[in-house]
Amino acid sequence: MAFADLSRSRPVRAAGIARPSWSNLLFVLPFLLLYAGLLVYPLFQGMWMSLHDYDLLSGESEFLGLANFIKLFRNSIFLGTVRNTLWFVAMTTPAFVVLGLALALALNRASRTGAVLRFIFFGSSVLSVTIVTLVWRMVLRPDKGLIANVLEWFGLPPVPFLIDVHLALPSIAGVTVWWIVGLPMMLFLAALQQIPQEIYEAAKLDNAGWWRTLFSITLPSIKRTVILVAVIEIVLQFQLFGQAQIMTQGGPNNSSRPIVLFIYESGFRDWRLGYAAAAAQILFFLMLVAASLQLWLGRRRQGGEA
Amino acid sequence: MLKTRLAGALALTTLAMPLAFTAPAASAAPVEISFARFFGACEGDYGTSTDVPAARGECGIITTLINKFNADNKGEIVVKPQIMEWNTYYDQLTARIVGHDVPTVAVMHMAQLGDYVNRKVVLPLNDLFKEAGIDAGDFTDAATNGVTVNGKIYALPWDTHSWLWHYNVGLMKKAGLTDADGNPVVPKSLDELKAQAKKFKEATGKPLIAISTTQDVAGPARNFYTLLYQQGGTVFPDGPDGDANFSSPEAKKALQVWADLYKDGDLTPALDYEGATAGFINGNAGVYICGTWLIDSYMEAAAKKDTGLSDGYYVTAFPTLLGKPAIWADGHSWVLLKGGLNDDNKAATLKFLKYLYDNNLQWARTGHLSIRKSVIDSAAFQDLPFRKNIKIISEVARTLPAGTPRQFGIQQIVGEEFDNVMLTGKSVDDALADMQGRVNELVSAAR
Amino acid sequence: MSLSSARSASGTASRVRAGRMDSHQFGDRLLLGLVILLAILWTVPLVWVLGLSFKPNDVLMHSTGGILSAPFTLKNYADILASSNVFTWILNSIIVSGGQTVLTLVVCSLAGYGFARTEFPFKGVIFALVLAGLAVPEQAIVIPLFKMFADINLHNTYAALILPRLAVPFGVFLMTQYFRAVPREIEEAALLDNASRLKIFLVVVLPLSIPAQATLGIYTFLASWNDYLWPLISASKPEMFTLTVGLASTQMNFAQSEGIGFLMAQAIFAGLPILILYLFFQRHIVTAVAGTTVR
Repeated sequence: MAFADLSRSRPVRAAGIARPSWSNLLFVLPFLLLYAGLLVYPLFQGMWMSLHDYDLLSGESEFLGLANFIKLFRNSIFLGTVRNTLWFVAMTTPAFVVLGLALALALNRASRTGAVLRFIFFGSSVLSVTIVTLVWRMVLRPDKGLIANVLEWFGLPPVPFLIDVHLALPSIAGVTVWWIVGLPMMLFLAALQQIPQEIYEAAKLDNAGWWRTLFSITLPSIKRTVILVAVIEIVLQFQLFGQAQIMTQGGPNNSSRPIVLFIYESGFRDWRLGYAAAAAQILFFLMLVAASLQLWLGRRRQGGEA
Repeated sequence: MLKTRLAGALALTTLAMPLAFTAPAASAAPVEISFARFFGACEGDYGTSTDVPAARGECGIITTLINKFNADNKGEIVVKPQIMEWNTYYDQLTARIVGHDVPTVAVMHMAQLGDYVNRKVVLPLNDLFKEAGIDAGDFTDAATNGVTVNGKIYALPWDTHSWLWHYNVGLMKKAGLTDADGNPVVPKSLDELKAQAKKFKEATGKPLIAISTTQDVAGPARNFYTLLYQQGGTVFPDGPDGDANFSSPEAKKALQVWADLYKDGDLTPALDYEGATAGFINGNAGVYICGTWLIDSYMEAAAKKDTGLSDGYYVTAFPTLLGKPAIWADGHSWVLLKGGLNDDNKAATLKFLKYLYDNNLQWARTGHLSIRKSVIDSAAFQDLPFRKNIKIISEVARTLPAGTPRQFGIQQIVGEEFDNVMLTGKSVDDALADMQGRVNELVSAAR
Repeated sequence: MSLSSARSASGTASRVRAGRMDSHQFGDRLLLGLVILLAILWTVPLVWVLGLSFKPNDVLMHSTGGILSAPFTLKNYADILASSNVFTWILNSIIVSGGQTVLTLVVCSLAGYGFARTEFPFKGVIFALVLAGLAVPEQAIVIPLFKMFADINLHNTYAALILPRLAVPFGVFLMTQYFRAVPREIEEAALLDNASRLKIFLVVVLPLSIPAQATLGIYTFLASWNDYLWPLISASKPEMFTLTVGLASTQMNFAQSEGIGFLMAQAIFAGLPILILYLFFQRHIVTAVAGTTVR
């Protein structure tokens, strides 16, 4: 079979450089082995596990069919985590797009000040999640926290950011924005610099104002990046875990528990690997749907205008 | 220039690779015993100290005990502590068992033991104790019950710990709540407590009681269990297969009492464990409800000038507020996990267990109750401060039923829902219903 | 893109805007002022924490108010130096991130070249299957991965911490894109000399790909350094913790509150290595992170 392939393609591509050969497969083989063993296999293994009751510690398992999924859809805690995760994505993604773009527009300048400011806003993104939570848990504490100290200075009572049902998840969202808004900012900066200067020159000749230039030139030119940033952030923020696990442990009253924390707790605290795997499948599915929806919307909008 | 720097960094990491993949070569002589525990890390204060009697607090005492054992057995045995965090300890221990990479000796709460014994990952110790010269007959009843599953002993008990009221004597005096001896008046009923709380708030402007209600599930669960037991109630029926029941009037009252105290402003609002533990030293409340392990640390703080406790510290067992004397209790113990013991380290491990058993009095200095009858009866133990006040624990302590699986997960649920009532205004009925639903969901999946 | 080219481009932009000097300049100044204010707010938490790290624990127990007034202390940092944990964790992080970076570069460069420049049967299908893997999030596979590594007794090793991320197809995708853009003529000349494909790759093509290697390398290193979920699950022994997991463990601590100042000093100390790298390689890091995502 392979031989036939070779002999068929040889006369067509005589140049030699493009000659198909099984030996070329060796270039991709190391990766393919890793890929098959550590991504494809676990992916299907996870699906299989999700159909079982699988005890972590004893290693015993029993086939359940779809029972784990049915249980999940009846579990108010799990449904709460789905709601929390969607709400978190809905809070952070627009914030990343709007704030990221605003910073990029403001800092798209050659001066030294611009460079320093870019350095500052991007700087926090290189810190790991546990440093960020260490800092912000301290800042947000109602006793001895930085914000509480400032409020006290003005004679105001402390705000229980991480303890209030309505504030916990938004606080985590705020911390997340502080942490990694640098990434969308940089993506937007890169896109802004791709815009040909001639267009701006033309706009200048038309005496177009700053706002008009923004809406008729800048934004349309970086539409692709806006969609890209939105998709990246949706996918990233669906994976919320460390911030919530460390800062609130999902509380109070389940108000900040994301799906990934549920997966972690089911698997490693409650020893229910099958149940955890089932929740992971649902998360995977939700992420695929959300990202495709966003891409589809973006394409449709672009298509409509073209 | 940048490229060279980058290349340099890459070269360095490449060099590090072979090192990374080579397992550390086992040196010939000393037998190594890995020793997994929580109780915190305090190398800064006790790094190499072998002066056990001078050490204070859980961390200091266990650290110096190990240092001393290593010094005494230099060249023969090395105990290597693997200090893990309390919150994630069981997650990680389980992961290590599943990954076939177990510590030789590991700490375990007695309430947890059943889950691990049922899955056959813990070694029975009756015969090994004989070999080591450890007399199980000297264990207290609470300790023996705590480490016995199906008639066999599965752990070396280390302490019985329970739930106490730590008093700030200065503030209590200010509120006129001390007796002729200058000791705080301990309430004998809920009504008396409420009257005290009112008086205390008028005099000091502070809530009488500090408890942790934020990101802490253990303390809240213990508060709930204690008041439940004091009414003769339980949420776990006898026998391993029954569902948990949180709808009894006792359960409702146990939670309601706390909810009312919180609503009336008699409990500190929204403190986490660290906040509550440190806040008490700063004089934020008259009573801090917490465990035996804090006694020694608070004695230390009371001995210093300019702390909130400088005017006196007092401690007593959780008072009987709802009729029957009963207090939540649990115990720390040491287990040998399957796969951790082998012919090479067996003798050394037994010697180490015997050493821990022999030094139980040192550990009891933290405030925990000793697990040895002979120690409890000894003058050395009874001379420790406040031990008269907490001795009653050995009679009224109520441990969690060993037959119920997943106690750690259950505690998480009970504690979370308790906190919800305090912090979010969730109704007592809703919280109890959620406890019931979540606990039974968890237990139904456990085998 | 790189920021140096960015500079000249935006330089043109500001020259363009210079036409409407007065109102524009005012608006621009105002905007800049606002952003500077925001930037100050942005750094306040870190500065405050830095301040706390120099305060004695017993002072912080009472109040965290006056970080600018005495007493100050270096004891928190001395305590970190005395307890070796943070060093172990940093070393683990360096080994894991470094190992992952090197291996990713090797594996992905080979595969990228293979997909971009050589022909082998079923290449199209295989490449499509590999790209599909981009959609798989880590969370969907951690549970089975944990089980797999447990079954072969590999948890609490560097191998377990390094291997799983090597299967992420992102780097292959990136390198394939890059190699596709290398002019074919360069290779064809070498092929006439009868050099093997591997030799052509190593001698001719690979040196051309240094910028892409740097980009992928920095990106991988950062992602690995900050990885949390997998190391949390796989490393259950303190001596195998990475820095990220180790710091998480100290924050959840229960009975022994080691003091606010100590914890804050730990945050600062743990953040230093990566912040220093960022200071030196800022442009490259930005280019890498932004560049990789744009593609």
